[in-house]
Amino acid sequence: MRAIVLGAGVVGFDVAKLLSHAEHDVVVIDSDPEALAYVSDKLDVMTVCGNGTSTAVLEEAGIRQARIMIAVTAIDEVNIIACMLADRLGVETTVARVRSGELSNTKAVLNAEDFGIDLVIHPEESASEEIVRLIRRAGATDVVMLADDRLHLVGLRLDSDSPVIGKTLREVVFGESSIRFRVMAITRGIRTILPNGDERFRKDDQVFVLSRPKSVPPILELFGKSDRRIENIMILGGTDIGAKVAYRLSQEKHKSIKLIEDDRQRAEQLAEMLGSVLVIHGDDTDIDLLITEGLSDMDAFIAVTDSEESNLVTCLLAKHLTVRKTVALLSKGAYIPISQSIGLDAAVNKKLSVSREIMRFLRGKHVKSVATVHGMDAEILEFEAAPRSMITSDILMNLKLPAGVLVGAVSSGKDVEIATGLTRIEAGTSAFVFVMPGQIAKVESLFAAP
Amino acid sequence: MVLNLKAVFYTLGMLVFFLGAALIIPMLVALFYGEAEWWAFGFTALISLFIGAVSWFYKEKANQELQIRDGFAIVALAWLVLSLIGALPFVFGGVLASYTDAFFETMSAFTTTGATIFGGAGNMDIESMPRSFMLWRSLAHWMGGMGIIVLTLAILPLLGVGGMQLYKAEVPGPSADKLTPRVQETAKRLWLIYVGITVAEIGFLLPAMTPFDAVNHAFATMATGGFSTKNGSVGQFDSAYIDWVITVFMFLAGVNFALHFRLLRGKTVTVFRDTEFRVYTGIMLAATALITFSIWTPSMSFLPNLQADGVFEGYASVADALRYGAFQAASIITTTGFGTADYEIWPPMAIGILFVCFYIGGMAGSTGGGVKVVRHVLMFKNSFKEIKQLIHPQAVMPLRLNDRVVSQEVMKNVLSFIVLYLGMLALGTLLMSFLGLDILTSFGATLSSVGNIGPAFGTLGPSENYAHVPVMGKWVLSLLMMAGRLEIFTVVILFVPAFWKR
Repeated sequence: MRAIVLGAGVVGFDVAKLLSHAEHDVVVIDSDPEALAYVSDKLDVMTVCGNGTSTAVLEEAGIRQARIMIAVTAIDEVNIIACMLADRLGVETTVARVRSGELSNTKAVLNAEDFGIDLVIHPEESASEEIVRLIRRAGATDVVMLADDRLHLVGLRLDSDSPVIGKTLREVVFGESSIRFRVMAITRGIRTILPNGDERFRKDDQVFVLSRPKSVPPILELFGKSDRRIENIMILGGTDIGAKVAYRLSQEKHKSIKLIEDDRQRAEQLAEMLGSVLVIHGDDTDIDLLITEGLSDMDAFIAVTDSEESNLVTCLLAKHLTVRKTVALLSKGAYIPISQSIGLDAAVNKKLSVSREIMRFLRGKHVKSVATVHGMDAEILEFEAAPRSMITSDILMNLKLPAGVLVGAVSSGKDVEIATGLTRIEAGTSAFVFVMPGQIAKVESLFAAP
Repeated sequence: MVLNLKAVFYTLGMLVFFLGAALIIPMLVALFYGEAEWWAFGFTALISLFIGAVSWFYKEKANQELQIRDGFAIVALAWLVLSLIGALPFVFGGVLASYTDAFFETMSAFTTTGATIFGGAGNMDIESMPRSFMLWRSLAHWMGGMGIIVLTLAILPLLGVGGMQLYKAEVPGPSADKLTPRVQETAKRLWLIYVGITVAEIGFLLPAMTPFDAVNHAFATMATGGFSTKNGSVGQFDSAYIDWVITVFMFLAGVNFALHFRLLRGKTVTVFRDTEFRVYTGIMLAATALITFSIWTPSMSFLPNLQADGVFEGYASVADALRYGAFQAASIITTTGFGTADYEIWPPMAIGILFVCFYIGGMAGSTGGGVKVVRHVLMFKNSFKEIKQLIHPQAVMPLRLNDRVVSQEVMKNVLSFIVLYLGMLALGTLLMSFLGLDILTSFGATLSSVGNIGPAFGTLGPSENYAHVPVMGKWVLSLLMMAGRLEIFTVVILFVPAFWKR
């Protein structure tokens, strides 16, 4: 199926990569030949150089055969017009990145439907949502929602005092029969392992656990992560994201929220907007200021300035002062792999969270790929078991699934079950499967009709 | 190690496996005609299939992305390894006594050069060769024409993300474009078009030839190769019909296959507006007209003819002059190298024109070799731009091709390609003259090999063969053919020390 991606930036690249790995014919349009050269070097996609709001360019990209249009250039208006054109030219699904809040406002005169846009994505919105989610789950480094929120994939890093260190996965699971969960993946250094029962936990492992939302607190406890409430929060940077996070958190019960912004005018504006938040005007690279404002007493520190380097450094400082939870906004993605190893609790990349959202939306439409988690190589895919397919022939334990494939949960209509070795997948139900890249074809054949 | 050796070995192994499968075809032909040499193909096929099977064990470990270096190494080594193995049947079957000759012949076949060593210096002539070997030569032409790696890409998705790397390295032209978003689809379409046109040519040739000859000549034409089943090449049929059919199909084979693709999709206008296509057609028509003029008896008297010894009296009828002129022009420009006449006895003007044609080559993305028309177009445009710039030093003048601006990167690539091409010619000529060949022959052989043409000048003309070239010379020419087919960069890069350093 043909998909057109407009914009070869970080998000465009990421979406094109995910779509192309899901066996779609992807055409990437951008006006910058250098960005396109990078894309066509790295991905098996076609590139068209030109303006995405021109019908001629869209036609050159084969828009008449296309079924998906994803407009993620840096300019709102370009994205909107491209989606309008695509809608007129018969594209089924259109997705546009729109930074301005105008379209999503409930009182808006023009809304997304008027423009023929099926999904409006808002990078700042999704990033701030993710940050708030991470603050709510203080013990987790990642929280990914699956199956319409009925499943949570929680990432957590094992500290040296974690009770599970040295134990095998089997010992941990059998020791705790009251909670249903499944350890889906362990990231150790740069390697991702889909573990079996004999895998032993080690210090600094990044463990990904799949469970229902309500089981998350006891699971965090089991792995030695306290899910103690976060009371005092400091936010660095009054950017769009910073303001949104502050607003959302101020709606919940926290003792104190401090927001530091270095532009006087912006600080005043924020102070007017956010009643219950203490807005402080000061240089965000001024370490002394952070310490005077009581950084060491904070439970959480969120750095969302425009400079990712200062986000990283201030988070490290906060970690050094034993702040329990630090979250850094990293926009380039290049620092994400090191964020775990230098001790950061969580890193949020607003661009990657956008591509994740797009894929989640498309999955409902055409794509079966579900989610990717940064820092973890495995992909999460949803498969429906065809009648008489291999996978339905026996319980999972007896099936001898290939290495690098792990069934996480089974969903039949309304019900979602965490899978165990005794689970048997019935025809017609769908399963969430964790797959290492390169094994996808094998899994497909397992679920396909003979 | 700088290379991902396992991935390289695995991919090469798969290609060798493919070669093994292809070798079964001449084996079956040998069995069909009751030739005793069938086992030579069978044995080589077995070896190839075995190597391929062994490399299969590296599949899991090779399952990583290919890096740029791996891509270059795979393409260059693939052509070398396939020629080394493809040469074995000639020796096993006793058709050729020396392995050097067999390797030269096979490399010449795969690279669609069409230079042969049969017919001279103790080797049997072409017509006394078993038919299975004739077919093997043509089949190798045909596989090498569109590209062995592109063929593999079309059938197996084995090359993964690195596929585009390999595709780019094998498809000729300064910038290889995809026809469809996926490399595999693109490769499939290209091969379908290629097979389609080949079948059409077989259909046109059948009324005038035996089925065996028709298949062989169609393979050799579409690949712009030039191996014939006759000692006297296509000229031996002495049929105007055959000459014209092959002329037309040589012309088609020299056209960018992306244009064939667009033509099939009904985008006729864009094809005829394509600058490279217009220049290619223009060169073809001009060369045909000029050669026809210079070999037509009535017009020959207007020309200063230095060969006044009466060896060549010209063609009395204009139809004949046109027929031989068009055939030879198409044969050289598309780098096929079929012969219907010995152009070495033609008047100097005709030889001069052909000499220039040796250097031009077909279109980018075609099966033809040489420098490629588009590079000449870009180079001339660039030079004219520079001249204009002298008059208007402040002017901003982007370089356009088909209404699109050509990036500086492409232009730099074109210029350095041409410089390397000329350097290759100089080096080759020098090496050949060290081996004792006269200067015209040395230069002709080099020009012909790098351009993948076949016949040359001097003692290697269209009526002669390469058997008398010294052993060293045959290896040098073989490497030049490979460098020419893979457009120099891919081969030269392996000899650059930086390639082997981290």
